[in-house]
Amino acid sequence: MRPGKLGQTTCSRASGSVPDRWENLRERLVDAARRRLGPDAPWAQRHIAHCPRCQARMAALGRVDLAMSLLKSQPHRLDLLRRANDAAIHMLSRRLRETPEADRLKQAQPEPSLAERWAGPQNALVNMAACLAVLALAKAGIFASLDQAHTRGRAAVKQYYNQAGQDIADEVFKT
Amino acid sequence: MSMFDRAIQYNLLGASVSCEAVEESQRWILTAMHRYGHELVTLLWRILGNEQDVCDAYQTTFLHLAHHEGGRKPRWVRAYLFRTASNVAISMLRQRIAERKTLSSMTPANEQEPTAEVDFDSRHLAESLLAHIAQLPEHLRNVITLRDLGELSYPEVARILGVSTGTARVYRCKAVQMLAMWVNDEENR
Repeated sequence: MRPGKLGQTTCSRASGSVPDRWENLRERLVDAARRRLGPDAPWAQRHIAHCPRCQARMAALGRVDLAMSLLKSQPHRLDLLRRANDAAIHMLSRRLRETPEADRLKQAQPEPSLAERWAGPQNALVNMAACLAVLALAKAGIFASLDQAHTRGRAAVKQYYNQAGQDIADEVFKT
Repeated sequence: MSMFDRAIQYNLLGASVSCEAVEESQRWILTAMHRYGHELVTLLWRILGNEQDVCDAYQTTFLHLAHHEGGRKPRWVRAYLFRTASNVAISMLRQRIAERKTLSSMTPANEQEPTAEVDFDSRHLAESLLAHIAQLPEHLRNVITLRDLGELSYPEVARILGVSTGTARVYRCKAVQMLAMWVNDEENR
């Protein structure tokens, strides 16, 4: 989960207040429950391996995860923020358009958040998420459609590496 | 569809929001743009996947902000911006899907690209998911766009939508289940 950024919330609650501490405790409890009762728990994995219905459900959820990861991994040009700011500022009054703040916004580049800087390049995270989704797909379809999931997973990862560069994709997928 | 949604229907944007300039006293708009612009662009890009559309939706979002209650600053600017951006983007996405459907119905069947390709098509998978997200009920759609595409935390999503964190979690769970069901149905078709 991505931590909240300092100064970005408009909520009246102060950071570190009692409700926030309860919220953190709740998050931990939910995570602990998910580990023991969620689909990654060993007993659940054993059940899924023998239940075609659950396999189908897990495969469908894996597909949603994979699609979500693909959506997040689509890169855009670095100057998109600048162009968007420019378009929005263009609609403001002339006096507002000529302020130093407006000039700075027209030159703005996306800056990684503190969390992103700590976590490393975002693409690596998305890549990992995509790989996990592929693994989940392969696991869920182990009896029903392992070959299909394997082929699709491989194609998804290859497509991802193709975006990074053909030479990298060739290097990773050389046979 | 709520009144809010209706008000920002893509078709009505031209009529409801004029291009007139906002007051100079609205410098807080530039501050909001500086503070939340990057996150908004990311959210819009993930929903729309087209740079020109992102710029249009971003511009519309800030126009709505500038014209909010006659130029008054909303109480929670961040919440207002994210909800508006999400609704504007979904409206544009719906319109694009409708246009595509119209175009494909006009194109003769033998000229259409084969859709049942065996090869994995990531673009198709992502577009299909977006189309399903656009079909979700509003309360579920808001959570999935803010949480998954906007990558906001559950407490942030809950604050923006004015619900409890637990409710936001339940909504997301329901939304993912519905999406999985629809994606599965589409796969089996």
